[in-house]
Amino acid sequence: MNLIMQSITGPFSYIGQGIMIALLAFSLLGGIMGVMNVSRKDSVAFPVLQWTFVGINLIFMAGFVLICWLHYQIYQTLPLEFPEAIVPLVNQQLELINAQAQYAFPLLDPAHPPRYVIPLWVENEKYYFWFTCYSFMAFFAFLHTASHRLKGALVVLLTLQISILYWFANPFSQPLPKFFSEIGAWYAAGDDPRQMFGEFMRLYPRMIFYYNTHYMWLHPPMLFLSYSAITVTFITSVFMLVKRDVEIETLGYDSAKFGYFMLTLGMLLGYPWALQAWGPNWWWDPKICSSIMMWAIYSTYLHTRLYANKKLMWYFTSILGIVCFVAMIFTFISSFYFPGEHTFQ
Amino acid sequence: MTIEKKNSYDFYLILATALVLAVISGICVYGMFYFKFAQLQQLDPVTKGAYMEWMNQLVSPFIIVLIVLLAICVPKRLLPTEWLNRFALALLIVVLVTTWFRGVVMALMVTLGITLSLQLLVLVMALAGSGRLNFERKGYWLRVGSSSLHLGLVLFILDLFLYKNHALHLALFWVTTVATVFGMTACFYSPAIAKWAGGFSQENSSENEDLS
Repeated sequence: MNLIMQSITGPFSYIGQGIMIALLAFSLLGGIMGVMNVSRKDSVAFPVLQWTFVGINLIFMAGFVLICWLHYQIYQTLPLEFPEAIVPLVNQQLELINAQAQYAFPLLDPAHPPRYVIPLWVENEKYYFWFTCYSFMAFFAFLHTASHRLKGALVVLLTLQISILYWFANPFSQPLPKFFSEIGAWYAAGDDPRQMFGEFMRLYPRMIFYYNTHYMWLHPPMLFLSYSAITVTFITSVFMLVKRDVEIETLGYDSAKFGYFMLTLGMLLGYPWALQAWGPNWWWDPKICSSIMMWAIYSTYLHTRLYANKKLMWYFTSILGIVCFVAMIFTFISSFYFPGEHTFQ
Repeated sequence: MTIEKKNSYDFYLILATALVLAVISGICVYGMFYFKFAQLQQLDPVTKGAYMEWMNQLVSPFIIVLIVLLAICVPKRLLPTEWLNRFALALLIVVLVTTWFRGVVMALMVTLGITLSLQLLVLVMALAGSGRLNFERKGYWLRVGSSSLHLGLVLFILDLFLYKNHALHLALFWVTTVATVFGMTACFYSPAIAKWAGGFSQENSSENEDLS
């Protein structure tokens, strides 16, 4: 790896690992107290649980600021810069491509070389963003419920998420491995114009139509916000099955409304981009199928909730809230298992 | 607000809609597994196109049922139950006659056209604060939001018919998005909007969605 990259990723990993260790420690403490609160009739060490939760949110925020710093450094220090003499040749090639394509590449301006504006939720960072969103939403629910068992359950699920993050999806241990491996070849090309040109034609489309596209700044975060809200609804739905508590149901419904809002808006905003990027050949793509399935189940949940005051509909709505969560997990995992335009394989 | 009606028309329509959505979900899951095991991503565009066409055919009867349900759901805001049955019967006759003479696509377009016109009327009446609309819940913004949200859904389905006309398709898509987002905001956050709009003391109690 080139020295500039190391100067960015070195401090990022070092500080980030510290953040992850602190996050794991706080979450384990919270998890233990969470289990105690879920299993006992009365609340246990509630102030400690609450302040642990506050601590987790603050650490999550610190990590997110660090991720923002990394992306800013990438923007500042890793442009795709060409020797000025070669720029006309590259532009000639781009003009040829643009003449045949529906969506054009911006031509190169030597004074302003193309720079990466990487969204804050690519590769393993998406899990960090997702679980941060859940942490804040769960804390909101935590403050708005009187049930110590629900409070405990919200923290237990957060502990589970942070453990997954720490052991399987740590964004700090190896920062953006795919991106740095892609761009590594560009820097390895040195000053050889032919090799630079080849690498540029490989990197530039991905920069324009993936990393720098406005869609990547809107579509995924809305879905992750939605996933977090669905998780809160899932926990309240499980509680609804055990006890008919209107306060918990209302909390779950508030969360579901926000989640549905984000899911619908996120899916809608992905649509024009999909037309631009893939043409009409994506409609029955597996991920699209699973997203439509999840949206349909979610729509059903919101409709049946109108009649949740009927005894059977109360339980039916609760089960649908759980099914929404299962559908959400299935939809997310489908990106790994099913091939298609959204695959992470 | 407490909902006391038992086994209302609305309730059965919601159950029917839930059933259709469940079937569509099932078809989607089937499509996912078929896509994977047939390894469609590695096949030529013609085979992929055939798969898409087949999936379209598989799902289309349920989309038709969904459109018809939507067409029945919309006028229920305007008509009493006994008239709703007559409307549903009249709609069925129109759909069958149009299908016979002009094909299924035209029948669906007619159904969507009728639904769209009625939904626009509902939205205008909701915006005007009409008390003649039949909603399960009270509240000005909730009704306006629900009307706009369902208008967005009707427009979205209509827009799918126009996907070959790229410019019109995208323009209508953005209208759909605006109607849906406005609808969700007004419907889901009606008490906050009522407060923001200045009529808090008057609206707050009726916008509430308490289930107790």
